[in-house]
Amino acid sequence: MDYIDYYKILDLKKSATIDDVKKAYRKLARKYHPDLNPNNEEANKKFQQINEANEVLSDPEKRKKYDKYGKDWQHADQLDAQQRQRSQYQSQGGGYGGGGGYSGGFGGDDFSDFFSSMFGGGGGRSSRNSPFKGQDYNADLQLNLIDAYTTHKQTLTVNGKQVRITIPAGVENGQKIKLPGYGAPGANNGQPGDLYIKFNISEDPKFKRKGNDIYIQEEIDVYTAILGGEKIVETLNGKVKLQVPAGTQPDATLRLKGKGFPVYKKDNQFGDLYIKWQVKLPTNLNEEQKELFEKLSKG
Amino acid sequence: MRNNLIAVSDICNYHHVEIDFIQSLEDFGLIKTTTQKQSSFLSLDELSKLERYVRLAKDLDINLEGLHAIAHLLNQVENMQQEINTLKADLIHSKHFN
Repeated sequence: MDYIDYYKILDLKKSATIDDVKKAYRKLARKYHPDLNPNNEEANKKFQQINEANEVLSDPEKRKKYDKYGKDWQHADQLDAQQRQRSQYQSQGGGYGGGGGYSGGFGGDDFSDFFSSMFGGGGGRSSRNSPFKGQDYNADLQLNLIDAYTTHKQTLTVNGKQVRITIPAGVENGQKIKLPGYGAPGANNGQPGDLYIKFNISEDPKFKRKGNDIYIQEEIDVYTAILGGEKIVETLNGKVKLQVPAGTQPDATLRLKGKGFPVYKKDNQFGDLYIKWQVKLPTNLNEEQKELFEKLSKG
Repeated sequence: MRNNLIAVSDICNYHHVEIDFIQSLEDFGLIKTTTQKQSSFLSLDELSKLERYVRLAKDLDINLEGLHAIAHLLNQVENMQQEINTLKADLIHSKHFN
């Protein structure tokens, strides 16, 4: 950290009065104010320096400390301690407030390390007491498909805070929900930020989801495919017994209406379930079976 | 264009400004409020303009006439900047193809 000459920044002499500081600040602030210099990083940086200089020099307590230690500011605490030992002098310590300055709104405008070391924290620019909304938080929540199928509650830990949320059935992969007021606390009585939760839903090996519809593949043997029969199929809400019609072709698809995924925030509305039949051909036929198939092939 | 509306009374509380200030900005044509059910609102686009005027007024003690002049000049600067960008792009294009 380099020593910053605040007097030089405001083009002032050490004997400058508070009024001189104010005038110098106003003059330079009019020149470099970010609202008057849009997209000008250099002006923005310069304005921060001016603000910081004004914050220190327009506050008698801060200025006293700055003038007292000057280039030795890094050893300010040690020097204070020594002085206290010698004369039992009650040092003023930290906790400065007040002062005027830029009321914020541009982001990334912290004071310099030099300022923070001397006076602690940033805090200068928001000293006009404008309330600022707290920072928004973002969190990712991993769910599997079965989790997303039913409305359920889940407790998350966000920045050390426990947040219990209700996850509505039918939530989509990548969907975000907003929990107002669960972000960082606001400054100067400003409102707290919001919490945004993004749902990452992992793919299921069996159930493929497309919107509110579910797609699965089920195996049937060749005899069931040809002659028809029954097949028990597992769906997301239990097993169902299905009739396979005689003459079912490989890859034929059956639709079960309302057996798919719940529609987000719509009670008792569901997508459909599509079942594609995979016909499994027999292997390792014995002689007798081969003969029977040969008879069949000859009609 | 964002069209979410925020009540002017809420903005006044948040930024510690008088409703007269907002009214004066509107009289100068610097912002535009919307009235619904006898209450005034600002759109988000207008809010960012208002916040700029609040900062300028508070930080630099600029009065309404000054804000009006600044708004006019900033608009000119923005137009000129756009013109410069267009001309630069044309220049690069003509250098490349001629």
